[in-house]
Amino acid sequence: MIEAGQPLIQIQDLTKVFYTDEIETHALSGIHLSVNRGEYVAMSGPSGCGKSTLLSIIGLLDTPTAGRYSLNGKTVENLDFAERSRIRNQEIGFIFQSFNLIGDLTVYENVELPLTYRQRMPAADRKSRVMEALERVGMAHRIRHYPSQLSGGQQQRVAVARALGGKPSILLADEPTGNLDSRNGEAVMELLQNLHREGATICMVTHDPRFAKHAQREVHLFDGKVVAEEELRKLLQETSA
Amino acid sequence: MSGLLQDLQYAARQLRKSPGFATVAIVTLALGIGANTAIFSLLDQALLRSLPVKDVDRLVILKYSGSNIPGLLRCRTDGKFYFSYPMYRDLRDRNSVFSGLIATDWTQVGVQWHNQPDLVAAELVSGNYFDVLSLQPALGRLFAASDDLKADASPVVVLSFSYWQRRFGTDPGILNQSILVNGHPFTVVGVAPPGFHSVVLGDTPDVFVPMMMQAEVMPGSKDLDSHQSSWLNIVGKLKPGISREQAEAGVAPLWYALRSDELKSINTTGESEGFRDRFLTKSHLLVLDGARGFSPLRSDVQMPLLIVMGMVALVALMACANVGSLLLVRASGRIREMSVRYALGAKRRRVVQQLLVEGMLLGSAGGLLGMLLAPQVSSLLISMLWSGGTGDLPFSARPDLRIMLFNCSLALFASLLFSLAPAAQFWRPDLAPALKQQGTTARSGSLRFRRVSVAMQIGLSLTLLVGAGLFVRTLHNLRSLNAGFTTDHLVTFGIDPRMAGYEPVRTFALYRSVFETLSGLPGVRSVAATNDPELANDNESGNIAIAGYAEKSHEDMNVEQPNVSADYFATLQVPLLAGRAFTLQDSAESQKVAVVNESFARHFFGDPQQALGHLIGYGGATPKTDTAIVGVVKDSKHASLREPVTPTLFRPYVQLSQAQAMTFYVRTWQQPESAEGTIRRAMQTLDPNVVLDTFRTMNEQVDNNLIAERVIALLASGFGVLAALMAAVGLYGVLAYSTMQRTSEIGIRMALGATRASVVRMVLLEVLWLAGISIAVALPVSLLLMYAVRSQLYGISGSDPLTLCGMTVLVTLVALASAMLPARRAARVEPMAALRHE
Ligand SMILES: Nc1ncnc2c1ncn2[C@@H]1O[C@H](COP(=O)(O)OP(=O)(O)O)[C@@H](O)[C@H]1O
Ligand SMILES: [Mg+2]
Repeated sequence: MIEAGQPLIQIQDLTKVFYTDEIETHALSGIHLSVNRGEYVAMSGPSGCGKSTLLSIIGLLDTPTAGRYSLNGKTVENLDFAERSRIRNQEIGFIFQSFNLIGDLTVYENVELPLTYRQRMPAADRKSRVMEALERVGMAHRIRHYPSQLSGGQQQRVAVARALGGKPSILLADEPTGNLDSRNGEAVMELLQNLHREGATICMVTHDPRFAKHAQREVHLFDGKVVAEEELRKLLQETSA
Repeated sequence: MSGLLQDLQYAARQLRKSPGFATVAIVTLALGIGANTAIFSLLDQALLRSLPVKDVDRLVILKYSGSNIPGLLRCRTDGKFYFSYPMYRDLRDRNSVFSGLIATDWTQVGVQWHNQPDLVAAELVSGNYFDVLSLQPALGRLFAASDDLKADASPVVVLSFSYWQRRFGTDPGILNQSILVNGHPFTVVGVAPPGFHSVVLGDTPDVFVPMMMQAEVMPGSKDLDSHQSSWLNIVGKLKPGISREQAEAGVAPLWYALRSDELKSINTTGESEGFRDRFLTKSHLLVLDGARGFSPLRSDVQMPLLIVMGMVALVALMACANVGSLLLVRASGRIREMSVRYALGAKRRRVVQQLLVEGMLLGSAGGLLGMLLAPQVSSLLISMLWSGGTGDLPFSARPDLRIMLFNCSLALFASLLFSLAPAAQFWRPDLAPALKQQGTTARSGSLRFRRVSVAMQIGLSLTLLVGAGLFVRTLHNLRSLNAGFTTDHLVTFGIDPRMAGYEPVRTFALYRSVFETLSGLPGVRSVAATNDPELANDNESGNIAIAGYAEKSHEDMNVEQPNVSADYFATLQVPLLAGRAFTLQDSAESQKVAVVNESFARHFFGDPQQALGHLIGYGGATPKTDTAIVGVVKDSKHASLREPVTPTLFRPYVQLSQAQAMTFYVRTWQQPESAEGTIRRAMQTLDPNVVLDTFRTMNEQVDNNLIAERVIALLASGFGVLAALMAAVGLYGVLAYSTMQRTSEIGIRMALGATRASVVRMVLLEVLWLAGISIAVALPVSLLLMYAVRSQLYGISGSDPLTLCGMTVLVTLVALASAMLPARRAARVEPMAALRHE
């Protein structure tokens, strides 16, 4: 259990360097960030500034080059693969820009998938969780459909249900509206808003200022660093000048 | 065909770019085509091809149904009906439906020329043989009816073309020269045309001799006047315009008349009405299609060749499936390339043409290599199947052009077909999603096809492996079968002194000195001989009568009758059960004696002890019973390991009225191979003109006896392993591709918490699924196939659970093994792959 007031995510002096073909890319340099339980944080910044990289480190898809990261009070930056898999499965719900549903599985099976990776979860529990999540996003009537038979907005709602099914500590969304038209985009944003109101902790990457306004707090990234909003504006003006 | 050259260049570049793919595809095709062409050429020669003679469709073979003549003096016991010479003569001279009937038999003779002895195959033929077959000589003349009028009156021979080449260097000067056949001078009158071997398919006689010279060519036989010697094959030529059915109907009254005469001539007292029925009323002369020649060989090799052909067909099918799925892998990897081509305005036809050109290139490369391979495979097979035979091989390794072309076009067709499969996939491409595909939401139909193809390959390889397992175990069972005598440290060879011109008296004397000389050699334990060699598919049988024995109605009184030397049972180590074995005291002058085997004793007397003392007579209806049974030996296998033991009556060869060819057995102390030199030298000093025939160890003889089984077992295992390899390659291909295609899916799964172990499990499960389904289909199919070939199995059932289970496990393991690499690669996918999108 976490003591009250302790942040769910605490990141200190985090650095990520990619080495490709003898080129070093400093995707993140010295990031400090903490996210509290129940918070709704939006991360924004120009393309290539490191938003996805940061989100994937938060989601334990990737490991930092240096720095400290504790999730739910536990130091997680140096865990092995199996342990990270377990935490991803239990603590984190992902929502991707391209939905990333599995084409050969039905809606139901897609949502059930993360639960099947948990050890010893009774089938009945799984079923009630899946149906609960699908009802929550309004897709319970489509459980036998395949992703290709759904519209983009519907697919993304199924993806949200999949993220919810595991009852994670935090929802991570990387440009969840990037592949959607504005109407469907609005609907997904509204869904996230509602989830937040019900107590979910959300970290969302977006470069759309309108959607960023939905969040409680906005974190601006520029060239791998967290910057204040005014500073960002200044920097952007400089680069465009 | 616009841009064909460009497409060809592009296709060649594509193949060069993926040499692994190209090599696997071409080698697979080549193996399939090579093996197929080779086997089919043999099958064609053995089973399908016609004799190279004129009016071949008018040739017929005569056989008959109904009982054989009772009290036969001489009869072949291979279950086929042969004719006596008087019967042949009467049929030939008194029928009205054939323009000619020829009689033929095969034998071995000693030929001496310039003092060089040589053992060759001879065909004893009626004088009209070459006339009826409308053959023209390559040199000199062929036989005429006048060569075959009076017994012993026309010592002439015709050489086969290949013997003329081999022995006389195609020298025309041989014409009208004299050569010694079995010690008798014969004049060479001509050479048979090239390409013609014999009317009996599979026989390759070196010389042809007129029928009337039988006494010289087959010493000891004087069958020409006997109704009670059935030994001839009859081939006829129908008169023009007469069908086989008409001929059969037309010759029926003659057959009835001739058989009635025969029935009158034999003593019919005691012959029941039932026998009369079977001998006469129910007996019919059959006129069978003879266009492809007689073939004792055909029935011998038919089943093995059909089995091999079946295996080859399965392998070829696998090769096609394999190349097909290889082409599909590449095609699926190129959907985007093709979509771009479409987007850039390519017409469908061009895209399809591109694929076809690639398929054709592969097909022709594979076909070419396969054609180069085919003769090699053929000669390998021929040398395996006919090892140890004398004379020419009846089959040529030169593959038939028609078959080659057929197989090549088959390969080309198959590769074109398979290159079209991906074309169908590109026919109506969904341009938009293909171009901006996110890679994860697409479901691939090609994958389904490739799964089916892999499942098929797994199933086929299981079928082949089950076959291999059963045939290998059949061979093992036969090999480890107790022959009833000890085959180790035993050397065997045959001699026929009559072929070196020996008279009967001198022959017996020679045999005596052979025993003396060989027994005295260092390292020799004992020496024995028989006129009826063991495990050589040889039979010497005849009817017997037993004094005081109440024959059941039409009881089969035909028993095997070898004539053996005194030490025979001791040398072969056949245990004595009752009485005594032969001794040197049993001579031509002493009481006639016999030793019977256990089966004989049990069949006629119920017990070995009971057999002793009974008197036996031979042939005829009421023969003199003057031979006393003095001993009983344990059963041993005779003609072949496969055949059950038959009642056998051994007699001392010294009590034979006529000396015959003998096969010797030398039991050695040291390795039998090392005795060969010593034995050959000793025989050389006895008489250099006596040729040693088939000198080998008994274990070699056993192997030779099992030649068909060995070839099948060897080929089945070879093809089984090949099939398993191909299935493994195919499976690997499918999995490597499908896991690659699923990289982002696997990434998503990992992002959602899948562990590496669970990804490996997922891939392996997929394989198990595929393997399970194909095994479920293949097992019943294998059972059916094995039931069809059950006659070739020995000591094991076609549904042997151990073999079935073992091979199923093996196939599953092979499948899992080939899945390991793709599975491990899948497990190395980084979960980050889920986030990456182009
Ligand atoms: N796997 C990788 N290998 C090398 N460079 C990478 C990799 N992933 C991201 N980068 C680089 O890191 C920087 C940040 O990328 P990313 O986090 O995807 O930006 P954003 O999501 O903000 O657009 C970019 O310069 C990108 O090229
Ligand atoms: Mg990004």
